Amino acid sequence: MHRVAITGLGCISALGHSAAEHWQAARDGRSGIGEISQVSPDLLQVKVAAEVRGFDATGKLSDSQLVSTDRFTQFAIIAARDAVADAGLTFSDELAEETAAIIGTGIGGAVTIDANADRVYAQKRPRLHPMSIPKTMPSAAASYITMDLGLHGPAFGVTSACSSANHAIGEALWMVRTGRARAAVTGGSESCLTYGSLLAWQALRVMAMDTCRPFCVDRKGMVLGEGAGILVLERLDDAKARGARIYAELAGTGLSSDAGSLTDPSAEGAALAMRRALKDAGVAADEIGYINAHGTGTGQNDPAEAAAIHLAFASRGRAIPVSSTKSMHGHCLGAAGALESVITAKAVAEQVAPPTANFTTADPACDLRHVPNEAIDIEVGAALSNSFAFGGLNSVLVMRRVS
Amino acid sequence: MSTDPKAVEEKVIEIVANQRRVDPGTLSLDMKLEDTGIESIDLVEIIFAIEDEFDIDVPQDRDAMKLETLQDVVDGVQRLIAEKNAA
Repeated sequence: MHRVAITGLGCISALGHSAAEHWQAARDGRSGIGEISQVSPDLLQVKVAAEVRGFDATGKLSDSQLVSTDRFTQFAIIAARDAVADAGLTFSDELAEETAAIIGTGIGGAVTIDANADRVYAQKRPRLHPMSIPKTMPSAAASYITMDLGLHGPAFGVTSACSSANHAIGEALWMVRTGRARAAVTGGSESCLTYGSLLAWQALRVMAMDTCRPFCVDRKGMVLGEGAGILVLERLDDAKARGARIYAELAGTGLSSDAGSLTDPSAEGAALAMRRALKDAGVAADEIGYINAHGTGTGQNDPAEAAAIHLAFASRGRAIPVSSTKSMHGHCLGAAGALESVITAKAVAEQVAPPTANFTTADPACDLRHVPNEAIDIEVGAALSNSFAFGGLNSVLVMRRVS
Repeated sequence: MSTDPKAVEEKVIEIVANQRRVDPGTLSLDMKLEDTGIESIDLVEIIFAIEDEFDIDVPQDRDAMKLETLQDVVDGVQRLIAEKNAA
């Protein structure tokens, strides 16, 4: 078994087009939520989203990549390049042979699916672009990353709705740990801000019309976002040997399923995943100095997550700083855990807890040590990043400081 | 739609050149498609663009239409347009 280091971070989100910009905005408490532009707001009741603004892959991707990729794959390729450059990693033939690409997504090529449906059913033009299949497959992001970077290790997509990225990162952790891969490029990507998808989310009645205020008494729900987050994982020994900058050790992963309600989260299920993550990491509960919450801002999630933190941490449940950065980058579904892992790794490296933005007054049902609106300095030996999905699929990651 | 051979030729060359990202002047009708450097994936995109441009359906059965040279493509397109106009 090998210990695993996070040596590279890549990102594209409403907060910026690199991991550095994403982290800086999150640390500063700047929200990327605004009026939606990809779909006419006139067609929607919920008119806000955390969009990736000013995105144009032309010039960044080759012509053949551009014509055969959905927006979610383009995000993933660009974030993966950002992460690998950040890691300062060059893939020798030997390393490329043994590097995995494990990428989560909740939907896959949502933009292509939506556009094709419109073309066939509304425009009555029953001829679809021949790249429609490779554009929509949920594994496309993983495939394209292997082709773009020349990686020959294990590669596949992972899907578990809103916890897809954490499940992917946890799987990549186990691959590097056990030697099934020497290194991994892992994370998640989602581009779900289509007319059809937004209407479907609206129908669930979990969306905020104004903004996302996790854990607040006047919270109205979640705000959808889009983007991709990618981590480079290496053996800790390899990273040290090449003198790499190490953000944190990816120390453990804990998984569980509620086996209960499709949409109502279970505090017990979430707590079980947190406990398993601590055990897997060999980290004691009192070493945890920051929790990046799932924190969707819905009526259901936030009190259940607070209860889960109390179940998992007992008396320390009120002492650990907790924030939800979805208040800034939105809920990016299958990319959520990856965007939050980028932030959590930086929080551990810089000893700073980013805030929950848009914070007003804490909901008494969410009795936690919040970080309202402004980042705080923390002494954090280890941190958790929580992801809980519709369907009760829970995945928690533990990152430990490396000195 | 017109089956004017010159117009169809020019359009087919333009579509293939566009897909290959080459100057149309470098292509000639007697060239084999494989000699233009296309891959199987390019061919399906060329067929898609041709269907869209001429509003015709290229048969799925590969034996139903010979597509060896650019001239074959032009002839096939003209035939499909003619069939469509006659229908």
